Amino acid sequence: MNRKSLLSTVIAIASTAIAIASGVLVLAGYFFAQKADGQTSLLTDIRLTLLNWAIILAGFAIFIGILSLFQVHFKKIQKKQKGSVYSLLLIISLAATFLFGLVKPGQVEIVFTTVQLPVEASLMALLTVTLTYASIRLLRHRLNLLSVIFLVTALLILLGTAPLPFLGNIPGLSDWVRPFIAQVMAAAGARGILLGVALGTLTTGLRILFGADRPYGGNK
Amino acid sequence: MSAIFSANVVDLITGGISFLLTLMVLSYLIGDNPAFRVAVYIFIGVSAGYAAGVAWHQVLFPRLIVPLLSGSLADRLLTVVPLVLGLLLLFKLSPRTSRLGTPSMAFLVGVGAAVAVGGAVMGTLFPQTRASMNALDLSGAGQYWLERLSEGVVMLVGTVTTLVYFHFGAKATASGPQRGKLVSVLSWVGQVFIAITFGVLFAGVFMAAMTALIERLNFIITFLSAL
Repeated sequence: MNRKSLLSTVIAIASTAIAIASGVLVLAGYFFAQKADGQTSLLTDIRLTLLNWAIILAGFAIFIGILSLFQVHFKKIQKKQKGSVYSLLLIISLAATFLFGLVKPGQVEIVFTTVQLPVEASLMALLTVTLTYASIRLLRHRLNLLSVIFLVTALLILLGTAPLPFLGNIPGLSDWVRPFIAQVMAAAGARGILLGVALGTLTTGLRILFGADRPYGGNK
Repeated sequence: MSAIFSANVVDLITGGISFLLTLMVLSYLIGDNPAFRVAVYIFIGVSAGYAAGVAWHQVLFPRLIVPLLSGSLADRLLTVVPLVLGLLLLFKLSPRTSRLGTPSMAFLVGVGAAVAVGGAVMGTLFPQTRASMNALDLSGAGQYWLERLSEGVVMLVGTVTTLVYFHFGAKATASGPQRGKLVSVLSWVGQVFIAITFGVLFAGVFMAAMTALIERLNFIITFLSAL
């Protein structure tokens, strides 16, 4: 076994041990939060410390993600690839916003209200057209019972939610059909989906804690 | 006087930038174009810069730098661990050194998995199961007991059949893996409930988008009339 391969093996084993140990300690802290006399248990303190470390690491991860974004666009500019002007704009706006935030942290909200808010709201507004187009395409290309149920439900909810011009609320639709669909039928489906997601999360989480899945690169 | 004047100038400039960005994004309605791309790239840059600022001011400075510089000895020792793990994470930037960052990723994934398991059990499985049972609780329903019962039954059927839809187990047969008949029927009913749920969500998103469109159009008209 050469040195490189040995290092990889050591890192893989250490990483798996770190993932399992940190995960089990945090999970134990959730389920054994208090001692018999009602005081906070040692496991809770350990859980809080580990969570604090994870939050700090997440902060580092944000910076690494942003550095990676910077790297990719900087390379694009260096190689004068197609669209490098956009990359230049991205880097300038990134650097300017970050520096402004560092120098005047109290006033960085002006950037949020001037750039982020209008762009996000406008992108949301674009969804009106995109969603209408998508529903028309659904009717034209995938016409089956389920897509009809989907679109009829959406239409009933839309008609039952807001009063129509000159008509006001449609009797029966606003006060009976809409609440029944939204609060009973959709709630039942949403509950089933939520339970399914929770069971999936539980399985995936436990597989990681048992070391069966190693998405962090724990396989040598 | 000059303060009011400068405040007005700042308002005019920020309003003008917002106005231009709104128009640039809405220009996508006539198709993908350079103005839309400029707006989106600026948006990504600003969002990334803003996120970096928030990460620094809300996380790294108060939780890492302050304890390291002015904390007790215990605080400093406890902060060294995430500092080392964070520095190791920086090796992920290069493919050649990325495996040195694996222990840090493992720590994040381990803690994340535990939080996810805890959240799934305490935050979803128990409360949602309890809510499903409560839907069939008729105490206090009075003369509306039949209505409450029918709603509870529909909710129970919807929840169970939706869950059955996500059950992908199948028996091995000569003609390949096949679901049982009962499971197939229940999962079809579950599909109907899922379609209704997504229909309601679609309507909700559509209404939110419509509200945003009205708000943006109102902003454009207000800005132009204020000039």
